[in-house]
Amino acid sequence: MDFSSLSTEERHSRFELRTLLETSRLLIESQDPDFVLNNLLLITMGKLLVTKGMILIHKPGDEAYLVSKSKGRDWLTESEDLKADFEPEILERSIIRGKEFKDVFETIGIEPQSTIFNLKTSTHHLGFLCLGPKGTKAPLTDHEIEFIESLTIISSVAIANSRMFQELRHINRRLDRKVHDLNTLLELSKDFNMMVDRQEIARVFKFAMLGQMLIRTFFFALEIEGKRTIISISGITEEPSDDDLDTLFEFDDVCHTSEINTTDCSFLEQNKIELVIGLRFQNEKIGVVGVGPRATQEGYGDAEVNFLQSLGNLALLTIQKTLLLEEQLVKQRLEEELNLAKTIQEGLLPNPVPQISGFDISAINVSSRQVGGDYFDILGLDDGGHLMAIADVTGKGIPASLLMANLQSMLHALAPLEVTLENASGRINDIIYENTPPDKFITFFWGKISNDGKQFRYVNAGHNPPMLFRKGENSPKLLEDGGIILGAMPTMMPYSSASLSFQPGDLLVCFTDGVTEAMNPEQTEEYEEPRLIECINKHRDKSSKEIVDAVIRDINSFAEGIQYDDITMIVLKVN
Amino acid sequence: MKNFSIAKRQINDVSVLDVSGELDAHTASQLENSLKSLIDDQRFRIVVNCSRLDYIASAGLGVFMAYIEDVRGLGGDIKLTNMNDRVYNVFDLLGFPTLYDILDDEKEAVEGF
Repeated sequence: MDFSSLSTEERHSRFELRTLLETSRLLIESQDPDFVLNNLLLITMGKLLVTKGMILIHKPGDEAYLVSKSKGRDWLTESEDLKADFEPEILERSIIRGKEFKDVFETIGIEPQSTIFNLKTSTHHLGFLCLGPKGTKAPLTDHEIEFIESLTIISSVAIANSRMFQELRHINRRLDRKVHDLNTLLELSKDFNMMVDRQEIARVFKFAMLGQMLIRTFFFALEIEGKRTIISISGITEEPSDDDLDTLFEFDDVCHTSEINTTDCSFLEQNKIELVIGLRFQNEKIGVVGVGPRATQEGYGDAEVNFLQSLGNLALLTIQKTLLLEEQLVKQRLEEELNLAKTIQEGLLPNPVPQISGFDISAINVSSRQVGGDYFDILGLDDGGHLMAIADVTGKGIPASLLMANLQSMLHALAPLEVTLENASGRINDIIYENTPPDKFITFFWGKISNDGKQFRYVNAGHNPPMLFRKGENSPKLLEDGGIILGAMPTMMPYSSASLSFQPGDLLVCFTDGVTEAMNPEQTEEYEEPRLIECINKHRDKSSKEIVDAVIRDINSFAEGIQYDDITMIVLKVN
Repeated sequence: MKNFSIAKRQINDVSVLDVSGELDAHTASQLENSLKSLIDDQRFRIVVNCSRLDYIASAGLGVFMAYIEDVRGLGGDIKLTNMNDRVYNVFDLLGFPTLYDILDDEKEAVEGF
């Protein structure tokens, strides 16, 4: 045996071992597959002294390979794709060389004298290391093959490891991002909770979207009280017209503009809006959010659409909440004002009811709402006589109460003047006719009790006729003389008056239609005059207060406590 | 009130904003106002020093998105510097660093204009 050649071989093998060791350490420590592949290719090309080398990486799920590294002339170039699907039998071999694999070399496009090493782990085929023929055309020795095989095994493991590592890193990152998304939602739901200013909510929503999606084009349109308006915007050159907004509200709830024809909404194209999302409240679409391209060039996938919808709904709910809050405040204020109005109106009615000597008088006013249109009054005159009035304004609530207050002030202004009831009635009618819409009337009855309490002169302007029960008589005399209802037309014919004398034991009952038109619960029948007359006759001998109470009780039991209209009544007994 | 403040410095023709505290939904508008007033004053070379920024929410980052392209279009830029890891992580998660300048050091950013 030639000693010197042996020692060369030994030196060779030591060098190879060291190369293997160093390479393996280098590769195992590296997390970068690109670095691993580059090293594998360069080391093997250097070792074998070949001028062409290439690494193909299998694309999973695709019958193709990516040219990851290529150093050979005329061979495929880097980052090219190679369509190829090899037999399992080929994929299981660690080395492919020789004529029998002519097809494989042809498919890959390399010389038939080349050698292919399979890059694989125990479970996965990763790709191929292709090495061209040596310059000397000599075939690879067993020793060389063994060395390169070892290197490919180490490299394959390193690649598989780094792939796994990258996969994990990728998953971790996606997880981090999801956590961040959720955090953003959580944080904003807390922040929104403290906000009552709609502009601020819309602005925060905008900035959160811009930051989260890395976009600069954004709009948020909302329908508030039937009107669609932009409430927050960024990076838009020209705001959408009303027509544009109407079109946007017609879109599907999730609309990728690339999938639709946008020619009828140039706003979308002009501003490069990529995604339009509709937001619903109680199943009604009342909001639309649009976003432009993401700076990262990534599109909008399900995750982004989901996030956008969640955040959008959050903003929408918060805004709805502020609207409800405002509505409630308005209601509350209205309620307070109504209560105040009620107090004022109560002050317009005489309380307590003035007593006139020789008479026993009681009155009551029950409004069906906070304020009403019924009115009664009893006031003393300078000559020692008294004025008694009862009125009912058409309609209910605030409009009726305003008119009632108006009538009250006129009455109080006219009472001290030396005017006859007929003339005063005509003037009141003219004023009311002038100052109120044509559908507002007042039924009105008033009368003057003389200073000695014996005479009564009255005018009835369309009011339910008061009933005068003469002593010992069961059916009343109706006081009907006067003229037309107040406010319907100007006074063309003067009002007439009628006069009568009071006798001890007489009973006068004035009331508004809330008494006689009280309904039974089935709403099929009204209380009406006969029931009133019967009730009064039954309690005739009692005090005026007891008579009033009895009538109210009777009405309540007839209507079972349900009151639709104001009820007002005056009972006057002549002692 | 939330713990957040902005101070403005001028280094030659570069405006430096020192932001400190927590930049979130409530404080984002303060940053917006500062950026707006710089732009109104025709100051388009802007460095935001984040060395004392403890926290940033997406809404805070959104403010930068709303103005950075405008500023770039006007020949300037908004550069962010001296971020702590936690803050940087948020920018990184959202993909911001691949598009816009985030530098370790303010000096580097100022001189980079």
